[in-house]
Amino acid sequence: MIETMLNLFGVVGFWLAIEYCLKHQTPESLEDASLMPSADDPEVARRVELATGKTVKAVAPEEAKPGWGNLEI
Amino acid sequence: MDLRRSALQTHLKPKKPYQSTADGRRHALHLIRINRVFLSLFCFRQGFYSASHARPGGLARLCMDELTMSTATIGQAYNYKVVRQFIVATIVWGVVGMAMGVFIASQLVWPEMNLDLPWTTFGRLRPLHTSLVIFGFAGSAQFAASYYAVQRTCQVRLYSDKLAAFTFWGWQSVIVVMLITLPLGYTTTKEYAEIEFSGAVWMTVVWVAYAVVFFTTVVQRKTKHIYVGNWFFGAFIVVIAMLHVVNHLSNPVGWFKSYPVYSGATDAMVQWWYGHNAVGFFLTTGFLGMMYYFVPKQVGRPVYSYRLSIVHFWALITLYIWAGPHHLHYTALPDWAQSLGMAMSLILLAPSWGGMINGMMTLSGAWHKLRTDPILRFLVLSLAFYGMSTFEGPMMAIKTVNALSHYTDWTIGHVHAGALGWVAMITFGAIYHMVPKVFGREQMFSTPLINLHFWLATIGTVLYIASMWVNGITQGLMWRAINDDGTLTYSFVEALQASHPGFVVRFAGGVFFLSGMLLMAYNCWRTVRVADVVMAEREAQIA
Repeated sequence: MIETMLNLFGVVGFWLAIEYCLKHQTPESLEDASLMPSADDPEVARRVELATGKTVKAVAPEEAKPGWGNLEI
Repeated sequence: MDLRRSALQTHLKPKKPYQSTADGRRHALHLIRINRVFLSLFCFRQGFYSASHARPGGLARLCMDELTMSTATIGQAYNYKVVRQFIVATIVWGVVGMAMGVFIASQLVWPEMNLDLPWTTFGRLRPLHTSLVIFGFAGSAQFAASYYAVQRTCQVRLYSDKLAAFTFWGWQSVIVVMLITLPLGYTTTKEYAEIEFSGAVWMTVVWVAYAVVFFTTVVQRKTKHIYVGNWFFGAFIVVIAMLHVVNHLSNPVGWFKSYPVYSGATDAMVQWWYGHNAVGFFLTTGFLGMMYYFVPKQVGRPVYSYRLSIVHFWALITLYIWAGPHHLHYTALPDWAQSLGMAMSLILLAPSWGGMINGMMTLSGAWHKLRTDPILRFLVLSLAFYGMSTFEGPMMAIKTVNALSHYTDWTIGHVHAGALGWVAMITFGAIYHMVPKVFGREQMFSTPLINLHFWLATIGTVLYIASMWVNGITQGLMWRAINDDGTLTYSFVEALQASHPGFVVRFAGGVFFLSGMLLMAYNCWRTVRVADVVMAEREAQIA
């Protein structure tokens, strides 16, 4: 009995995790997410747009601020 | 927005040092910057290079001048220095670790290669080989790829340059500890966890620093969504920390001697829970993160199904952790635990192939690129080997199949189908993709050399796994053969003699693979360094 419950718990947990991750996602947001590897390089993004017909919301990375996040150890 | 555009320009321009530009000064400065990177990585100080390779007043002085200039803008947007360092470490440990593998393969062909020295015996060098290729080669590759991909997909610079540098030098010191202690015989005797107590503690410290750098970068991201590749890298970091700590729990009796807190079958189960998940998380999950970034990037297409990638992630991490008991079939481990391991291993086929198909299908509409792009060929072949070895693994986990395959060379062949075919091939693809970008070159020095490397690696892998299949099945059948009176038909030595041709072919396969690795090292060296000092000086004079 306990084995069956554990199995069910595992399957339900797996299902809930996926549902939670996809809860607020729309087809558009998933498409934007899938294009993220090209989204920091407008030059590459243009090539992907030409090849796929999809719009890549490409943004160049911001220049780091001096001393930002530099932890002294 | 202007600031962003400006940052982009400073980021993109160094990629193309050989492009025609109206500004000759900038052109030459790019070459000097690349040379400076080369100096800092390989020579560590300017004087070394200037004394040996440059004429007085030439390139070296220009490099020194460049060091004092405020125009060095490479990597302002991203921290590429630590990526470069880990790439170099990947190549160095790859060469050393694979050479060690070829050496111990030669020991199985010619036993006199043990050299009658305790430090060079197979028993001591085999754990060194696995440690160097897993933690040195594959580990450094994942540090490099995760640091590269997390910055680019989060569109933010890596958190803390100093902590990132600490992870590099800390990780290298761990590998050096392995390099020294394992041949000396200091070992826990636990497979893939041989490093003794003090080294293991230090490894944990470095790993925690890695987790801080990675996850803080993710937290400080500029994007709304966390790209799925980073989920895989994150799971790899968290689960490896858990596995390492639990498996290394022990009572130390000295700096380099400890006894595990577990005993008997429990100790074996904990070890193979760790051992299998070293494969599952160190050699699979992190590399899947690599796949989800580099395959779409190299193809120039989005991943085939983002929804499938999320299902793939949860299914993989849910199932992998349970498969370890299949390493202990027909042992003192309770039978239910063995059956659980077998069942979970079989179910694991589904997410493994889901991920493989997702990666392969990313090439939809772009298969023609395989004809001209050897980097993409590496990435796709790695997925093919991933699919093959993740089919073979569940089959070998079936108890009746395992009765034949266990303790034979088939297992070694299976491991290397994954290690050479999947881990190393995707690492090669990722390194060839990253090197020009992080070292500021337009492309690799030689595409034909990449192509040659591809074929050497492929031939080497096929020779290796085919010879081990033949050996494994031969050994399994000879060991189980019995006469009518119940006695063994063959002695162990007879099975060993029958395995000798396979050992020779395996050695040849290793030589092929190592040759390809050396070609990659040469190709990267030529890509990074300024090949023609005279030309570089001439270019520098223009500036």
